[in-house]
Amino acid sequence: MTASSSTAELSGPMSMLRALEVRALSKTFAGGRALDEVELNLAAGEIRALLGGNGSGKSTLIKVLSGYHRPDPGCTILVGGEPLTLGEPSSSLRLGARFVHQDLGLVESSSVLDNLGVGAGFPTRFGTIRTRDARRQARAALAQVELDLDPEQLVDTLTPAQKTGVAVARALQPIGERAARLLVLDEPTARLPDQEMERLHALVRAVARGGIAVIYVTHRLDEVFDLADTASVLRDGVKVFEGPVAGLTRDDLLHQLFGSALETADAIAAVERTTEPLLDVQGLCSETLAHVSFDVHPGEIVGVAGITGSGREALCATLFGARPRDRGEVRMNGQLVVGGRPDLAIASGSAYVPAERKIDGAFLDLTARENITIGDLRSFWRAPALRRRTEDSAVRKWFDQLGIHPGDGTERSMATFSGGNQQKVVFGKWFQRGPTVFLLDEPTQGVDVGAKAELHRCLSDAAQAGAAVLMSSSDSEELTATCGRVIVLRNGSIVAELVGSDINPHLIARASLGIEEPENGESP
Amino acid sequence: MSRMPRSLGFERYSGAYLLGAFIIIFSTMSPKVFGTMATLHGVAAQKSVVAILALALVVPLVCGVYDLSVGANINFTTITVVTLISKHWSIPAAILVGVLAGAAVGVVNGFVVVKLKVNSFITTLGMAVVVSATQIIVTDNRQPLPPVNPAWKSITQTKVLGFQIVVLYMLIIAVILWWLLVHTPFGRYLYAIGGNPEAARLSGVPVDRYTWLSLIVSGTLCGIAGVFYGSIAGPSLTFGSGLLLPAFAAVFLGSTQVKPGRFNVWGTVLAIYVLATGVKGLQLLTDSQWLDQMFSGVTLIAAVAIAGARQRSGAESRRRKLSQDRSDSAVPAPLNGSRAVAAAVSVDVATTSAQ
Repeated sequence: MTASSSTAELSGPMSMLRALEVRALSKTFAGGRALDEVELNLAAGEIRALLGGNGSGKSTLIKVLSGYHRPDPGCTILVGGEPLTLGEPSSSLRLGARFVHQDLGLVESSSVLDNLGVGAGFPTRFGTIRTRDARRQARAALAQVELDLDPEQLVDTLTPAQKTGVAVARALQPIGERAARLLVLDEPTARLPDQEMERLHALVRAVARGGIAVIYVTHRLDEVFDLADTASVLRDGVKVFEGPVAGLTRDDLLHQLFGSALETADAIAAVERTTEPLLDVQGLCSETLAHVSFDVHPGEIVGVAGITGSGREALCATLFGARPRDRGEVRMNGQLVVGGRPDLAIASGSAYVPAERKIDGAFLDLTARENITIGDLRSFWRAPALRRRTEDSAVRKWFDQLGIHPGDGTERSMATFSGGNQQKVVFGKWFQRGPTVFLLDEPTQGVDVGAKAELHRCLSDAAQAGAAVLMSSSDSEELTATCGRVIVLRNGSIVAELVGSDINPHLIARASLGIEEPENGESP
Repeated sequence: MSRMPRSLGFERYSGAYLLGAFIIIFSTMSPKVFGTMATLHGVAAQKSVVAILALALVVPLVCGVYDLSVGANINFTTITVVTLISKHWSIPAAILVGVLAGAAVGVVNGFVVVKLKVNSFITTLGMAVVVSATQIIVTDNRQPLPPVNPAWKSITQTKVLGFQIVVLYMLIIAVILWWLLVHTPFGRYLYAIGGNPEAARLSGVPVDRYTWLSLIVSGTLCGIAGVFYGSIAGPSLTFGSGLLLPAFAAVFLGSTQVKPGRFNVWGTVLAIYVLATGVKGLQLLTDSQWLDQMFSGVTLIAAVAIAGARQRSGAESRRRKLSQDRSDSAVPAPLNGSRAVAAAVSVDVATTSAQ
């Protein structure tokens, strides 16, 4: 491969080569300025973290680089020293800018080999794929990201980090004569658990060592310190910070991201469990869970931790009835809830926020108002019609309380909201029903740090008002910040229960992976 | 200011503007034939039955399921009612059985879709053929004679303000459906299921029950439309399949009107009459026989294309809106307005070019 052979010569003057130069980039939409005079310079082999809240202009910046948006006149963008034809995706690709989006766009049911071939084209003779060459080509592509995989393996058998690796490998394949110069990763770890994140970082470092500049978009601040050389922070379309990561603290970054507006939620003290539990689970078994028993009392926020495949991601859904259940008793508010019946679970006072918001949680075509009131239409029905005025005022109340932005957007379709605000609308739907048992799957996934704090505050308010909250999250910092108790799943069973000062990312990771010695945090 | 184009309703009511344009153009070109009350009454009545059929389609489509059996169903119920009357059944009893027959087709459709989990497109496509076959069994492929009883004809042909009363029936059905879809939890649930069935299930909506109900409603309305057709036009063994496509075209065109992006009652009614007026006007001018079909086919495709294009441009304006909120809308309004006009005009052009 060209990239790997050039690695050796890269030290010295070559590394000073600018992989990307962006000068005076503004982008005005009909509604306003998404980007304002942004400058961005990346050296070859540099890993740059790109940070910013929801709607700060990150995606617009990326879409300008990929040629999807045409920026305002006066802007110059050079990729590897050559000018980009603005607003032309093919030019961006030709100059060596490559993009990997959050949904990786892999064909899950096909092999790694076929997925790689879809990107760069298969080597053919007389229109027939030359399998041996294709396999060699695939191995080379995988070697670039230091992934040791059998190209014949099916993508859906891979771990999340490996999938991302395949997507990166596919993106980096040379197109024509040009090798890749710039790799943009858009929130690659939004759905990865911590351990997988490590592996992905190793992969990204390998790419950077090959002389490719990397722009790494993330909401997770811990990653910035772990991975990035430099960081740029966007706020309201303006670049408010840029500099090396070394010497920065977490608080510095938070301050740059959100100004002084941010308060961190207080960790919640353990609740006295004298009352009857609101959620009582006995011997729950399903495809991924084995004899899980626990309870959650009023006022408690209980976290669920575990690596992907531990049953963590299935627990809330199974309790609620979104996924089938084999055996076991689930009681909510003292009422027995049978499996596979979300309607009955709701009637027993539970709420369920699924991890896949767009697939399971939101009605993107309906308005925010309709999204919020769909679960509670009965309270607005006075024959012969639904009372729009009562409905409107209820919806406005949730917009205010949850800080949903834009505040006057109650009649907008759900799809027009940013991800964080969509999630708040989903929460609004459940708060409107006044549930007593909250079952939350990755409740703040893809939500920026500011909105996250607001959601956490609403949840702790609900808990203080006497609700029971069960929160499953792959983000151990989130669990640390919000939970009074954390249960850890491994292979479908509860292997640890952490309380008080034991709740910290380190201990959660150890319990999740089943590590006895504090050393060797890597091996599963 | 920037909202002006919207308040004029170019986007939501382009069909109404088109209807106005048709009426003016055709009235000037053939004032003696087209611009008469007789034409108005005639078009209104002729299209009432297909309008009811289109309204029947709206309900399952809102819920995200197809009902392709409406054409066969209306045909079957017409034949059933007329056959019963010719066998000296009382008219109310015959009507009841006819409507129940239509509803029964809906029940079976619902059963297959909900319980056997067969895709609704396939289910109702199959049912359409099954119903047609049943019709052959019942009639032995011989067309029953039209009932001679004048009371039978008067059911639909009594005049109200110059219009045949069937127009009023259609409007009543439209009002009921509008109420049902917009002002009751039933309608909200249907739109929610159509939007995202899994999210609806996880929000506690009884998805299966409502999906089934939506197909029963469409079947029942087919039964009612079948009765009216029998009363207006008399029995025919083959008219049903010819009504399926115009009804679909109207519903999809209607989804670009009044409440763009949603299947809705008044958009559908508007669409029926825009199409009918266009066809009628051109027929009077050119005396061509192929116009009706050509119009329906082109409209169906064009309407879906327009809806798709609008959705894609909606994704673009969504991004604009998001950035707009960030900058506290400190943007010159004319820019905003002119784009909206451009968008509205482009949709309008697309609609017009559909003829």
